[in-house]
Amino acid sequence: MKDTPSLHIALLLTVALASGCATVRAPEPPTSSHNTAVQVLLDTAHAALEDGRFASATAALERALRIEPRNPVLWQELAQAHLRAGNHAQAENFAARSNTWAGGNRALLASNWQIIGEARAARGNAAGARQALERAERFR
Amino acid sequence: MMGGRGNPVPQNFRIRPRAIALGLLAVLLAGLAALAMFTVALDFKVREEFDGRRFALPARVYARPLELFAGARLSAERFADELAQVGYKEGLQADEPGRFERSGNRFRVLTRPIVFWDGPQPSLVLDLSFRDGSLTRITDAADGKPVTLVRLDPEYIGGIYPAHNEDRVLVRLDEVPPDLLNGLIAVEDRKYYSHAGIDPRGMTRALLSTLSGAGVQGGSTLTQQLVKNFFLTPERTLKRKFTEIIMALLLERHYGKDEILETYINEIYLGQDRNRAIHGFGLAAQFYFDKRLKDLSLAESALLVGMVKGPSWYDPHRHPERALQRRNLALQAMRDEGYISDEQYLRAKLAPLGVVAKPSMGTTPYPAFLDLVRRQLLQYYREDDLRSEGLQIFTTLEPRAQAAAETALSTRLAQLERRMAQPRNGTAEAHGLEGAVVVADPQSGEIKALVGGRDPRYQGFNRALDARRPVGSLMKPVVYFTALASPEHFTLISPLDDGPLVSHEPGRAAWEPKNYDGTTHGLVPLRAALAHSYNIATARLGLTMGVQGVLDNARRMGIERDMPPYAATLLGAVDLSPLDVAQMYQTFASGGFRAPLRAIREVLTAQGEPLQHYSLSVEQVLDPAPVYLLTAALQGAVREGTGQGLSAWLPPDINAAGKTGTTDDWRDSWFAGYTGDRVAVVWVGRDDNSPTSFTGASGAMTVWGELMSRLDPEPLLPPVPENVERVWIDPDSGLRADEACTGAVELPFITGSAPEEFAPCARSGTRLRNWFRGLFQ
Repeated sequence: MKDTPSLHIALLLTVALASGCATVRAPEPPTSSHNTAVQVLLDTAHAALEDGRFASATAALERALRIEPRNPVLWQELAQAHLRAGNHAQAENFAARSNTWAGGNRALLASNWQIIGEARAARGNAAGARQALERAERFR
Repeated sequence: MMGGRGNPVPQNFRIRPRAIALGLLAVLLAGLAALAMFTVALDFKVREEFDGRRFALPARVYARPLELFAGARLSAERFADELAQVGYKEGLQADEPGRFERSGNRFRVLTRPIVFWDGPQPSLVLDLSFRDGSLTRITDAADGKPVTLVRLDPEYIGGIYPAHNEDRVLVRLDEVPPDLLNGLIAVEDRKYYSHAGIDPRGMTRALLSTLSGAGVQGGSTLTQQLVKNFFLTPERTLKRKFTEIIMALLLERHYGKDEILETYINEIYLGQDRNRAIHGFGLAAQFYFDKRLKDLSLAESALLVGMVKGPSWYDPHRHPERALQRRNLALQAMRDEGYISDEQYLRAKLAPLGVVAKPSMGTTPYPAFLDLVRRQLLQYYREDDLRSEGLQIFTTLEPRAQAAAETALSTRLAQLERRMAQPRNGTAEAHGLEGAVVVADPQSGEIKALVGGRDPRYQGFNRALDARRPVGSLMKPVVYFTALASPEHFTLISPLDDGPLVSHEPGRAAWEPKNYDGTTHGLVPLRAALAHSYNIATARLGLTMGVQGVLDNARRMGIERDMPPYAATLLGAVDLSPLDVAQMYQTFASGGFRAPLRAIREVLTAQGEPLQHYSLSVEQVLDPAPVYLLTAALQGAVREGTGQGLSAWLPPDINAAGKTGTTDDWRDSWFAGYTGDRVAVVWVGRDDNSPTSFTGASGAMTVWGELMSRLDPEPLLPPVPENVERVWIDPDSGLRADEACTGAVELPFITGSAPEEFAPCARSGTRLRNWFRGLFQ
């Protein structure tokens, strides 16, 4: 085949565009777990949190995390619980931890950065809060 | 007043008798007042001491409970082990919990009821099925419905006697063999049940019999002896005796005979085990006979009773003949008082002493771990706060990991010493090696195992917590992390200069570090310098980054101890405990999230009410991207560097990360590393700090490998941070590679720091590709 740069460029451009499209997937719904035990604990935690029973909620989530330590949803739920209880530093750390396991899950990443933003705001870090909330926006 | 025969007594004589009488009265009143005050003070003290000892029942400490759910990674064999560990017996019997039946891969278990932090779990009948190393099904045998999640009751691992920090095996009076009680009364205080605390006739008799040179009885009642036992100093003054008498009377006023006797049984001093005092007959039964108190024979009970008078004098280990004589004297007293028959007396008299060679086990099989639990409790509770009756403490201990750690340490140390004993190894002593192991969960910081020495049952120096040793090369990863956190300056392939280095710090002697092999290696890629643990390259790198920066990172990773801010610290001239090191490596293993290492999950009251929850807590202290790179480098150290020997224990797909550490003259041998689900640190050395003749690789690493091989580790596959990309590199040129390059390696880089140019070995389309890349950059 003749070495025509323009043809190469055209081919490469097409391939690049096609592969670019392939990476833009619909955002995964926030998964909970395939593990029934973890799901049950998650439900328990939700119910406890609704009732304001913070200690019970965190106990259930910590127990779930011993079963699935790499589940980003669990870490996020823990972050949420701590945020609602006013433990802002902890909330931020758990949300950051959740981010490391979140992979490409934009919905999770967005929620985590939201939590981080709120936690920072509550601790008087306005600039940091703004940055975090902007990141949350970009993932939505 | 008339004196004599009617002669009036002179006036001045009249005054004196009255004055004397008044004076005497005043003195008497004052004395009585003093006595009263003294007595009141003693009364308070007696009750305080007695109540304190009576009601401070030991806290009960438990290991972690096994979680059971469909899909759990648990083989039938391991489950059988776990059942055995918590004392479940084979053979179901009606409604008796704590039993099971097994048929191949299927079990039916009747669990014991237990109250956890999140509520009670009643006794359940469960059917479990296993296949291929997993628990596949778990159902409630009552209705056949699947059970989502259930916990096996945890193993009881020991007691803590918070107020006095001593071990006890507390017994109730009704658990004491009658022979022992009778013997005690017969030998020490015949009138125990009838006197009011002291026995004046007994005291007189004792005095007489002492003077005449015969006699079994001391003058003190059991009550008095109990009082004496409360004091630490065995004074023999009159004042002490007097105080003792008053306190005994007061004790009997406030408490009943049975209460006093029960406390006596649990308190009386009965000997010494190295640095541990043996108090109470329960512990004494275990220490001398390795038996429970209720299982003691008549002769054995008599021996212990006989020893009350002088546990050291009558120590059956050191003075067996004396002990035997004393025991037989006690038996005689029991016979004389009618508590045993002639036949029983004669038979017991012929029995051997029966004491076991000193067992080193205290009331816990895991003294090092329990020591940590105690210390962590005291962080939140003052000793007084722990005076609750029977607190229940649920810990993080994983008995399987603990067993693996203990076995690995003791078997490997024995093997290392056998190797040393061979002639070609010169003058190093072939014994006396010691070690410590810490195993933790990287994500939560929960401590799964803690071993304080090669004799794990012995409650001695806890090397895991208290042995502070120079960490040597274990500090190097912190230096490399610091460098990798500046990706504009350093990547995994950055060339480092391993040529000779002389460092000058103000006010200090010139420092010229040397490599272990005595040579220098010129320019080496950063990851190789770490993998091969080159001292000079590391020192130079650390100095470039600045010692303080490195120490700041170490601080962030959880090191609280002082670290001298000098260059030598870069190469580990800092003393840390194995627990400290474990904390550091936990931070790496979790991708930069420090989780304080903890031994306790929660504390409940005896009734099962939640008291304290030790929460999961993490802090993002290090940027995840350079941690990811550092882990990759440590995996390289295991694959190709000083940690290569691990392949003898772990298959390559585990991809463990680890660092060897050896200090000057081989005084300390370290290995710290992590897999997908555990981080562990091993130290090997000698208590007297003399050389061991082992490096980190030939010593501690072998223990680490053995330990991990017993734990079925998960492969180490940390999540890739969003700003890290994997790039194929040609090692020779340090440039990008493609399929055409032989020996290419795929390495992680923080985005923007990887080389952009392609290596010469890459296919001829290189220039176009480079240009094209330039378009899209």
